[in-house]
Amino acid sequence: MTIIPEDHIEQSLEQSLDHCIKCNICTAACPVSAVTDLFPGPKYVGPQAQRFRHERQSSPDESVDYCSGCRVCNEVCPTGVRIAELNARARARLAAERGIPLRNRLISRSGLIGRLGAGPHAPLANALLGFKPLRLVIERTLGIAREAPLPAFSRYTFRAWFHRRRAPQTTNGASGRQVVYFHGCSANYYEPWIGKAVVAVLEHNGFEVLLPRQRCCGLPLLSNGDFAAARRAHEANVAFLAPYALRNIPIVGASTSCTLTLKEEAPELLGMQSDAVRAVARQTFDIFEFLRTLYERGELRTDFRPIERTLPYHPPCQLRAHRIGRPAIDVLELIPGLRLVETHASCCGIAGTYGLKVEKYRISMDVGAPLFETVRRSGADLALCDSETCRWQISHGAGVAARHPVEILAEAYGLVT
Amino acid sequence: MRTTIVIGAGLSGLMGALALAEAGLRPLLLAKGQGATHWTAGTIDVWGADERSPREALQTIITSRPGHPYALIGVHAVEEAITRFRALTEAARYPYVGGLERNVLLPTAAGALRPAALLPVTMAAGDVRLGGEMLIAGFRELRDFYPPFIAANLAAQGIAARGVYLTMPPAFRRREYTTVTFARMFDDPAFRSEIGRQLRAQRGNATRIGLPAVLGLRDPLEVVAHMQNESGAQVFEIPTLPPSVPGIRLFTLFQQAIERAGGRLQIGSEVIRGEGQDRRLTTIWSEAAARQQEHRVERVLLATGGIAGGGIRTDHAGIVRETALDLPVRAPANRADWFAPRFLDPHGHAIYTAGVATDAHLRPLGAADEVIYDNVAVAGAALGGADTVRERSRSGVSLATGWAAGRILAGLVS
Repeated sequence: MTIIPEDHIEQSLEQSLDHCIKCNICTAACPVSAVTDLFPGPKYVGPQAQRFRHERQSSPDESVDYCSGCRVCNEVCPTGVRIAELNARARARLAAERGIPLRNRLISRSGLIGRLGAGPHAPLANALLGFKPLRLVIERTLGIAREAPLPAFSRYTFRAWFHRRRAPQTTNGASGRQVVYFHGCSANYYEPWIGKAVVAVLEHNGFEVLLPRQRCCGLPLLSNGDFAAARRAHEANVAFLAPYALRNIPIVGASTSCTLTLKEEAPELLGMQSDAVRAVARQTFDIFEFLRTLYERGELRTDFRPIERTLPYHPPCQLRAHRIGRPAIDVLELIPGLRLVETHASCCGIAGTYGLKVEKYRISMDVGAPLFETVRRSGADLALCDSETCRWQISHGAGVAARHPVEILAEAYGLVT
Repeated sequence: MRTTIVIGAGLSGLMGALALAEAGLRPLLLAKGQGATHWTAGTIDVWGADERSPREALQTIITSRPGHPYALIGVHAVEEAITRFRALTEAARYPYVGGLERNVLLPTAAGALRPAALLPVTMAAGDVRLGGEMLIAGFRELRDFYPPFIAANLAAQGIAARGVYLTMPPAFRRREYTTVTFARMFDDPAFRSEIGRQLRAQRGNATRIGLPAVLGLRDPLEVVAHMQNESGAQVFEIPTLPPSVPGIRLFTLFQQAIERAGGRLQIGSEVIRGEGQDRRLTTIWSEAAARQQEHRVERVLLATGGIAGGGIRTDHAGIVRETALDLPVRAPANRADWFAPRFLDPHGHAIYTAGVATDAHLRPLGAADEVIYDNVAVAGAALGGADTVRERSRSGVSLATGWAAGRILAGLVS
């Protein structure tokens, strides 16, 4: 059975195998194999095991399921082997052969969960999920770790707020500049204040913010090996977003994993390469990547109020995988008085849904331990991080609040959100 | 934004980035992946092709081979780079010893002898000329480090040595081990106390104990001191196959120093092209998700390595290219001339001298010796004009030209 269509991406992955010189730099950098024997490391599970994978034979090795998908291996590989993609596809093979457990089907559908939990009844849903005996039952029956950090549902969705509010005047007058905001599940169902900050910052810089329909980007589905559902999600998003992308209207997101999925993960892992898919990928920007480009063109407003603070900043793996540097630092450095100290920890451990799983919770906390320690030692009561699941994990592991850098930016602009 | 760019995270790129950062230019270092630090032994080999001291060799090269990277920058620049490097490692509590006056001969993981001009002090007691019996100890769990084999080869060269395997303490057993796994274990005092006790029991008449270069990532000096106290002998490290723990230590201390001075590193971003006009490079692009990242540049230090490091690429058609900026490369014109007939030919293979030719300011030159870009300096193995593998000068050339290129770009060299 072939579950992955023939495509040039598959070929480029196969070819990249031959670039592996077995130097083990990836293994040395892998945050997961550093803390557990259950994952032998990227080199073994990626380029080495790949030699034993054939579409007519069953998967040789289940340890690939312990890859968290953080992509640190890709980052450090000196010869350009695409280890993380090999692993993600191998996991999908495994899922196709052995089926996807109910737990993974559930936690990978963040849009569905969000629709169920967010709204006026959110306090009830939150109380239930905060009720320890119930979490124990969920752990025993479903396998979702009872200690794992789950976010609180919002009483209102971002989309509802956006459509309810009075359309604001853009402060730069009618510049005619438009931008699509891809909010993702977290800003819509859990943290609408981040969506509000994004809108405020973009409008402050003279953009009209458009909010077409959208679905979950599909990353949780990809990382749980449910490629069929991920394909449906991406096809839907491309249908919603391509009309804008094809008119060169940028698509901006503040969730680094959603934007990475639109840019690269979905097209590459699923072998999707239509013009519409490519247009969406090319027009998708991380919010700070977008703002940094504005600054480079002299178009970013810099009417910042000073913020006299030094804060730890963790660039999440999914941001580093964009390969665009540290755009949040580049922009926030413009705020007088504010200093961000990069953590240099490789991963917080949560890796989306990985750390929610009962058999992986301990691993995820051990992976995150150096980061939690760095954040605690900084003495700050606040850490910054661009990715939502990482923020929840940092708060859980380090015991301090974690916010999105765009919230600080909005504060510096004096925007009430 | 950052307009001073260093391309490459090996020794030359790191030295260059340090020089630029200390000059206040806030460099951004872009690299495809982790650099040559993680691949190499962690010693600084200035010259090791013959019996001459590095200083004697340098003085001859400067007059006899004007195109050699050492000749381009001069002995003074080499010394300046070494001084800065020694101060840097000293400040990071990982000091290097040695200098240009003589090479130290160190045992390799094959029991061969390798000359090095500068070496981390954790390797210093490995100097084979110190005399006395050596105990070479290792672990069956660590691949590619076989103490009996090392000792036998040393003994065959007249160096008294004995090889033994140590027993992995049960609390530290794992399924998989790499050099880095071991280094993290040596960071744990409980592990090294146990290993120290085993070494004392095995020591016999040995006055020095050689261990694989995995003696900790956090504070190797402390690890070596601890092992010496426990074992009652001098302890030294023998470089392993990659990933190189001494190299990782070097990378880490450079990263910290560069960032403290205002620089930044972006690993995982391969520079794939550049554009300029009127002898000025104006823009470079690095590979990124969905589209390339554009960098407007004022000055660029190219330190992408040679054929082994990926900075120079050859293909089956015989084309030799510089991969980041597509600078002109000096290489044998004909593919048939790339290699000497014998693998271990004493004259080496011509293709390994392939690289970018530069003027004394390390600016890239074209076929007619015209400067291609005024605001680009080339350093390290990307430079042509030397077979640094055969000369055993690779890390010395990288260190010295990296520092020199950074100083030149910062306008600190007249």
